[in-house]
Amino acid sequence: MKTTTVTLGHGSGGRQSAELVRFLVEGFMTRGIGPELEDAALLPGGYAMTVDGFTVMPRKFPGGDLGHLAVCGCANDLAVRGASPDYLGLSLVIEEGFPLDELKDYMESAAATCAAIGMTLAAGDTKVVPAGGVEGVLFSGCAFGKVHSPFPLGIGNLREGDILIVSGPIGRHGAAIASARFSLEVEGLESDCAPLWPAVRPLLSLGGLRCMRDCTRGGLGTVLCEWAEGSGLSIALEEEAIPIELQVQSLCDVLGFDPLYMACEGTLALAVAPEDGQKALSLLKESAIGRNAAVIGQVSGGEPKGMVSMRTSIGGERLVDMPWGELLPRIC
Amino acid sequence: MIPLRSDISLIVDGLHRLNTRPLSVMEVCGTHTVSIFRSGIRSLLPPDLRLVSGPGCPVCVTDQGEIDAALSLVERGAIVATYGDMLKVPCDRGSLASKRSEGYDVAIVTSAMDVAALAEKHPDREVVFLAVGFETTSPATAALVKEAEQRGLSNLSVLSLHKRTPPVLAVLAGDPGLKISGFLLPGHVCVILGHEPFSFLPRDCGLPSVIAGFEGEQILLGLAEILRQYSRGESSLASVYGRAVRPEGNEKARTLLDEVFVSRSAPWRGIGVIPDSGYALAERYGVFDAERRFSLTIEPGKSLPGCRCGDVLTGKITPPDCPLFRMACTPLSPVGPCMVSSEGTCGAYFRFYKGDS
Ligand code: SF4
Repeated sequence: MKTTTVTLGHGSGGRQSAELVRFLVEGFMTRGIGPELEDAALLPGGYAMTVDGFTVMPRKFPGGDLGHLAVCGCANDLAVRGASPDYLGLSLVIEEGFPLDELKDYMESAAATCAAIGMTLAAGDTKVVPAGGVEGVLFSGCAFGKVHSPFPLGIGNLREGDILIVSGPIGRHGAAIASARFSLEVEGLESDCAPLWPAVRPLLSLGGLRCMRDCTRGGLGTVLCEWAEGSGLSIALEEEAIPIELQVQSLCDVLGFDPLYMACEGTLALAVAPEDGQKALSLLKESAIGRNAAVIGQVSGGEPKGMVSMRTSIGGERLVDMPWGELLPRIC
Repeated sequence: MIPLRSDISLIVDGLHRLNTRPLSVMEVCGTHTVSIFRSGIRSLLPPDLRLVSGPGCPVCVTDQGEIDAALSLVERGAIVATYGDMLKVPCDRGSLASKRSEGYDVAIVTSAMDVAALAEKHPDREVVFLAVGFETTSPATAALVKEAEQRGLSNLSVLSLHKRTPPVLAVLAGDPGLKISGFLLPGHVCVILGHEPFSFLPRDCGLPSVIAGFEGEQILLGLAEILRQYSRGESSLASVYGRAVRPEGNEKARTLLDEVFVSRSAPWRGIGVIPDSGYALAERYGVFDAERRFSLTIEPGKSLPGCRCGDVLTGKITPPDCPLFRMACTPLSPVGPCMVSSEGTCGAYFRFYKGDS
């Protein structure tokens, strides 16, 4: 790594985050006991496991709060690898002085979300640190579930010709948080934070299902770049086809952000063999989070290899790259 | 291949027909630069039409010496508030982002007015707004200064690094080393200033100049208008931005600018000091002037070794011609400011350009 300290850029989900992870797990990798770098790990015996940490400012945002987010985040990592959200472990690091009422609110919404998707809180831990030790409260979750897909889903399955689908309008979580952080109120803008499992479950019966990702930090753009790089194939997108809400677009226009890189917390990208494309789309459309699902592009064996290109709404061609560094709002 | 939308394909056909010899058009504004990349416009243009990016990204033209002055303010204990993409702009002793990670107070704001609230929240601290941008952001700074006066916010001051667009265009239009055949003028700036401040371009320099908005379609239309004028040997100031730009501009905003600011010479990164190209606070608002309050003098900085931002900003080279591009200079460790901002030419090339294909 080029820097000697951790920067906020390392946390923004793009290339720098990947660099940090590689740096951290190096000792495991060289000993042959490192993780596979997917959203959740597939364990022997047909189980999947994931861990995730959650800090969000503000902790209550339009469309959710920290508790709901922690459960969705963990459960969704399992779901996109074809596993049901069965068990949850939660660890809370709490700053001295934090209001109990507020903590209770987050736990209550976490419980409600778990109940809705059949997830049990199996383990937990709390630590209280002196004022200033953390900012308010940190949630970390570990989730464990049974794999229901008949074969492992992952980047390695991607094939030329595969259809790419996104389950709904992108960038809503990132935009909702940015609007709260920068006090730019946008009417009707809400985070998409939601559990994906109910939408994913029926998809697992499709023999042509290749891989899925929830488009969290770094957004849809980052996910697709990782797919292209990881598979060495080219991904071709149609800009017009990518669902983006007006509210998200206008907020991004103001701040100079690209909705492609804005985080989602209840939206997934999936690749499916062409013969199952329509079926996947209609299954998604029947689910609560997938009503606006859309086919957004295709995997191709052509050029540029390992990259994502996009046909723009005016008919031009351009490349889509991973975001670099911390997303900072621009001037004017 | 999906066919082009019919209205777009009409414009594109027109461009191909009108472009009979090699031509370079400068898009002045960083927002145009990004939109041109984002909408993939270059892939639609005739091969002889070259787009050259101009000095219209406020971050990129901010001089080293100006950043240096801002750093000295945080070091002296002030809270420095500014727009997000200023944070990473380097000078030889660091950036606001590096100061922030050392624990100094740097606040990101999205509008100038946020600074008033910040000053109110920290009555016992000096709060300085690092004001950057062209005529699009300077009215907001002017409004902040008036607000500060009204609310008696004596701990608020403004380090005005604002720049004016017409003087730098005059320099570029008069540069014999620069072979530009027309200007795509920034819609936002013209909404404020109107047509008049740019009328010298066609009148005195014979350069077709077209005010365009930021959608791909408008940019294509603007280019078509420049080519149309060029092919007929005409030069005039035209607008394809529709009703948003009134020829007289926005009088209210202009009055505000005239009241709060006076023009002064200002350093432009890589270009040098240009007379009348900056805005300083007028005498009447002198108490809010951070340069006075902290007895700062802004010395134009040396250019960073190897960085060719000046040549990029004036369209003499494109970023891949810079030996540091993509090698020593990336968005993660930018050498020059053109790599910092999402609207900077080098940053835009880095993200969207992967070599001639
Ligand atoms: S690539 Fe970097 S060093 Fe070269 S001109 Fe651009 S900003 Fe300066």
